[in-house]
Amino acid sequence: MDKSMSSMVVRMADGFTSVIDITGDVTAASEPALMAAYEEASRQGARRLVLNFSGLEYMNSGGIGMLVTLLVRANRQHRPLAAYGLSDHYQEIFELTRLDEAIGIYDDEPSALGG
Amino acid sequence: MNPVACPAPRRLASFALASVPGSERVALAQVADSVADLNLTPRRLDKLKTAVAEATMNAIEHGNGNRPDLAVDIEVFYSGTEIIVTITDHGGHGGPGWADDGAEIPDLDRKLSGDQGPRGWGLFLIRHMVDGMEVTAEGENRTVQLTIRT
Repeated sequence: MDKSMSSMVVRMADGFTSVIDITGDVTAASEPALMAAYEEASRQGARRLVLNFSGLEYMNSGGIGMLVTLLVRANRQHRPLAAYGLSDHYQEIFELTRLDEAIGIYDDEPSALGG
Repeated sequence: MNPVACPAPRRLASFALASVPGSERVALAQVADSVADLNLTPRRLDKLKTAVAEATMNAIEHGNGNRPDLAVDIEVFYSGTEIIVTITDHGGHGGPGWADDGAEIPDLDRKLSGDQGPRGWGLFLIRHMVDGMEVTAEGENRTVQLTIRT
């Protein structure tokens, strides 16, 4: 896969939560793919979304902005967001930007689903 | 008593990149390679890479206006206690530009309420990743100097 690309695969994890498995880079260029994944999760009937960052290779400020855009949409539709799989570095970035206050951060998928 | 002269920082790398999206990935990889022998902790290295990528992106977009014919020049130095990375654009905008201290501070609550746009995190991230940042402008050139203690 091209280093500049990302893959976003949506799967239903339980009755009301969809997981978006993110692989590769998360930048401003990822917005169409992430929004398409969000729409797919909505079609699946997800009441809650979990972002799996285990496959994340690189995220920049454009990617942070894209997550903010996703948050605005999710908040408007009352769909809580959670995330797991962030490296220590990206967890710190989530804390600096306060994204961790808006997106629940978990150590792994079972805890993210139970949260 | 004669003062001991401080040796000039040692240059570890010098390269130029085209002002196109994705060049920041090349920049962070080349800077990381250049400091590989300095045994930075993984966390410090990640911070350096993020700062370099963000500064390079801003030089490309806001400094050089995404013009592929304008290069971003990057140099890496080591003083013995600090890694110094300079990122220079040639867009001729003058002044600190995107690196202005007066730039609006991103606020997540304001972004979620629509009061601020969703982007604008680059300078904020840089300042939190490095120990020092200085901006100089001369003629067509603007140089951002990032300093990270080892």
